[in-house]
Amino acid sequence: MTSTPNINQLKTKFFSDLEEVRTERDLQELRDAYLGRKRGALVALLKSISSAPIDRRPSLGKQANELKLEIDTVLSERHKNISKRTDCFNQIDVTLAGRPVELGRRHPLTILREQLELIFTGLGFEILHGPEVEDDYHNFEALNMPSEHPARDMQDTLYLENPLVSEQANGRPPTLLRTHTSGMQIRYMEDHEPPVRIIAPGLVYRRDNPDLTHSPMFQQIEGLVVGENVSMSDLKGILEVFLRNLFDRETQVMLRPSFFPYTEPSAEVFITCVFCHGSGCPVCKKTGWLEILGCGMVHPAVFEAVGYDPERYTGWAFGLGIDRVALLKYRIEDIRLFYENDLRLLEQFPY
Amino acid sequence: MKILVSWLREFVTIDVSVQELADAITAHGFEVSSVDPAPPRIATEEEDGILDLEITTNRPDCLSVIGVAREVSTIYGVPLNTQNQELPNQSQKLKTLKTDSPLTVTVEEHGLCSRYVASVAEVTIGPSPAWLAARLEACDIRPVNNVVDATNYLMLEFGHPMHAFDLACLNGSEIRIRKAISGETIRTLDGNTHKLETDMLVIADATQPQAIAGVMGGKDSEVTGVTRTVALESAYFLPHSVRRTNKTLGLSTDASYRFERGTDLTAPLTAMHRLHALLKKIGASNSPPQIIDTLSSKIDKTKITLRHERVKHILGIDIDKTFIVNTLSQLGFSVTTKSVDHQWDVTVPSFRVDVTREIDLIEEIGRHYGYERLPSTFPTLVSAPTPSTPWIETQRILRRILTGGGYSEAITYSFIERSVAETFASSEDSLVNLANPLSEKYSTLRPSLLPGLLDCLIRNRRREHHDLRLFEIGKIFQHGKGERTAIAITLTGAAHSKHWSSDSRNTDFFDIKGIINTICQTLKISPHYEPAEIPQLISRNAASIFEAKDKQKHNLIGYAGQLIPALAKTRGFPDTGGEIFVAEIVISDIAHSTQDHYSLQTSPIPRNPSMVRDLAVVVNEDLRADKLRATIREAATETLISINEFDRYSGKGVPKGHVSLAFRLTFQAAERTLTDLEIQETIKEIIQQLKTVHNAQLR
Repeated sequence: MTSTPNINQLKTKFFSDLEEVRTERDLQELRDAYLGRKRGALVALLKSISSAPIDRRPSLGKQANELKLEIDTVLSERHKNISKRTDCFNQIDVTLAGRPVELGRRHPLTILREQLELIFTGLGFEILHGPEVEDDYHNFEALNMPSEHPARDMQDTLYLENPLVSEQANGRPPTLLRTHTSGMQIRYMEDHEPPVRIIAPGLVYRRDNPDLTHSPMFQQIEGLVVGENVSMSDLKGILEVFLRNLFDRETQVMLRPSFFPYTEPSAEVFITCVFCHGSGCPVCKKTGWLEILGCGMVHPAVFEAVGYDPERYTGWAFGLGIDRVALLKYRIEDIRLFYENDLRLLEQFPY
Repeated sequence: MKILVSWLREFVTIDVSVQELADAITAHGFEVSSVDPAPPRIATEEEDGILDLEITTNRPDCLSVIGVAREVSTIYGVPLNTQNQELPNQSQKLKTLKTDSPLTVTVEEHGLCSRYVASVAEVTIGPSPAWLAARLEACDIRPVNNVVDATNYLMLEFGHPMHAFDLACLNGSEIRIRKAISGETIRTLDGNTHKLETDMLVIADATQPQAIAGVMGGKDSEVTGVTRTVALESAYFLPHSVRRTNKTLGLSTDASYRFERGTDLTAPLTAMHRLHALLKKIGASNSPPQIIDTLSSKIDKTKITLRHERVKHILGIDIDKTFIVNTLSQLGFSVTTKSVDHQWDVTVPSFRVDVTREIDLIEEIGRHYGYERLPSTFPTLVSAPTPSTPWIETQRILRRILTGGGYSEAITYSFIERSVAETFASSEDSLVNLANPLSEKYSTLRPSLLPGLLDCLIRNRRREHHDLRLFEIGKIFQHGKGERTAIAITLTGAAHSKHWSSDSRNTDFFDIKGIINTICQTLKISPHYEPAEIPQLISRNAASIFEAKDKQKHNLIGYAGQLIPALAKTRGFPDTGGEIFVAEIVISDIAHSTQDHYSLQTSPIPRNPSMVRDLAVVVNEDLRADKLRATIREAATETLISINEFDRYSGKGVPKGHVSLAFRLTFQAAERTLTDLEIQETIKEIIQQLKTVHNAQLR
């Protein structure tokens, strides 16, 4: 004997299931469960009728179809109501933790370099990039530092055992890690006629053992302006704008005579101490000033090396250590931290 | 360099405190790094102190009391007082080359020693007077005996280094300025023995070197308590030569420090006269000066034309002519007005070896005028700035994408340990070694960014960071390939931080593949992955990455995969640290061909709807997904716009050794709406091909 489908039982179950419906989605699930074309309960019921005794089939079929119609009507009615109501949604705990959007961080030196690049592109400078392994000519000689020049001691150099590539087109083998980014400026001047307004950011290398304030590798940005009427007063003007942009509007800028082989006159530039604002503290050794960069008027010998007429053109250049600025700006005490990449430091930079 | 203020005051009369003086000197380009009280042994009426000055390499003339006094006199506009310094006048400059001289001097290397002044003096050796010894000590020079002290005293005061030999110890009573002979050695005053090289200049007697020229004297001819007669040396040595010698020997002395920066060619004779005067004054010698001077030609003085207009052009301000003339004159230049208007003839004093052209004079003017008095102006923009290369922007975008994808940027040293570099290099020959590395740890230029980045990952892992995603963009170096820019990526731990709403999963190869695909998209290239054996990666879990140019040509750009655990372990990664995935691609060659990011052109948005069909097939588990994809692509018409594997399943219902792979296929035509029928036809063809080519079964 085959089991008789219990239509009433199904009907009771439907209405009890209906009680549980809260959302539109619940309602759709309920519709699928009863009226679904493949797996719906009514489809199963109708199928089962075919196995019932022949005499009972017409009445069962009628009842089943009536139930189907009733369920459809009830569900449609319910749908009309539920789509207007919102109190039927489940409550959520809005104080639970949100799903984190996991962002990485740019390195602080990148953040600062891009900020510097932005300031200078705003002032009409072009950004250069160039090789880190340089030849002696572009790193020293063209910059008025012939071999045996004592000024070479100012930048103790790391040399390669063998040239990086065997033969350069110009016969100048790349043999050393650049000690500054000036080589890029020389190359640019070799290829371009004035006027020139460029900045050259990048990694540079010195043979210094790592300590609190030294790193054998660090980032530098150099700037160069050449034209027919460029003076040291223009240098001063640009530096003030730049340094006030970089630090704050109240920053005072002081130039003190210094010496670099590639500039004449040369100056070291100081800004009001960022820690004590000029009143004197241990960081600025009670002077109220912090040394921030070196600069000067491009030495005529450099212009001669690149084929510019030093009578017609004048220009200035400056060079600044990005790491040093980052130490001051972000109040970091140890330059080595930049190359340890400790996430506890990186994660303090929120973008 | 230490300067005793009371000593300085002998040359310049100024009414300022020691601190004010220090500040003024600093402001004129000689940084006073410290001001210390003078030792109590030096009693002066006025306030005294010791200034420690940083003298830039271009100003050897200021490595002396007189040199600094000249600057101070210019700063304060007061005369430089040299009257009571027993400077010889012209008539005293006797050139005595007597045939019966107790000493003969021969200069073999005129190029390296253009002037050698010598004299002989009978001496009574003893301690120096207290005042002299005290001054030397204040300047960090240890008193030895009256003769040696006198030479040192004059070096400090006048700036010219001198030397005294015990004449009795000079074989043949002869001084020969020559290059060292191969194999020669010398024991210097500090007691060390040096092997000399043949390009080094020495002061020799008839048989052997008695001094390294300009660097240090020899022990054998040292002036001692028993010395009766001294040979005094006051010479000019070529800066390059002295510098090379002291660099090679690693022997820097007060004398070499001055010679290598350039001494005054007129000083040797003057200094010799002063030395005799001083020896007399302190009772060390009474010998009349009998001087040998090898200078044969007249010393040429540098003459420079200075234009008033050029001063303004460089400094950007009109400086008063009187100020210019006064400043230069006080600094020792002789200035005469030229017949041409607004120009001067300036003769450079011989001690200013740094001044060779007009710009050097302009610096002197600007330095004393004061940079604080220069106006702040702006250079005029006479042409439009050139846009920077798109490469700069490409790198910025890459950094933003990677950080947006959860990767943090690291910057690591470009030099690494050679043994580590070897693991990551294609061949050992290609490794670029440094000739003078700081240490073994930094001996080789990195052939890959990964060693540095991995160390960084491991360091963070040991600091309790478990889920790490790091990247670096930087240069890599190899002989033959040169200098190239690469991106390296490494990750470990959970793919997402734990959250109450879902289970966490560990990162795997496909995380790294995903980010590489995004990078490639940015660089406008299509990556192609091939299984590969890469020594540092786990076999069968690594891929070479190619830039797919066309069907035939693929360009190798990098690799990705799981790092061999043993490798991580040797760098300190904990045993329980989990899996590390790495990738590196070289982007400099690719990015070269990419266009500027702002020159992009769009295609019209499709008006017709796309149609999506899912298709699951059961295939042998060794069959590569890309082979299936290729078959699908080939079987389909061009209306198939994307294929994506959305499910991969093995287990119940799938025969052993097989896998069910489900593809989501998206169809779209630009011109028309696709019909269900044609999609069905395409699907049918795809299924047929998958069956034929791969024996795939529809699931």
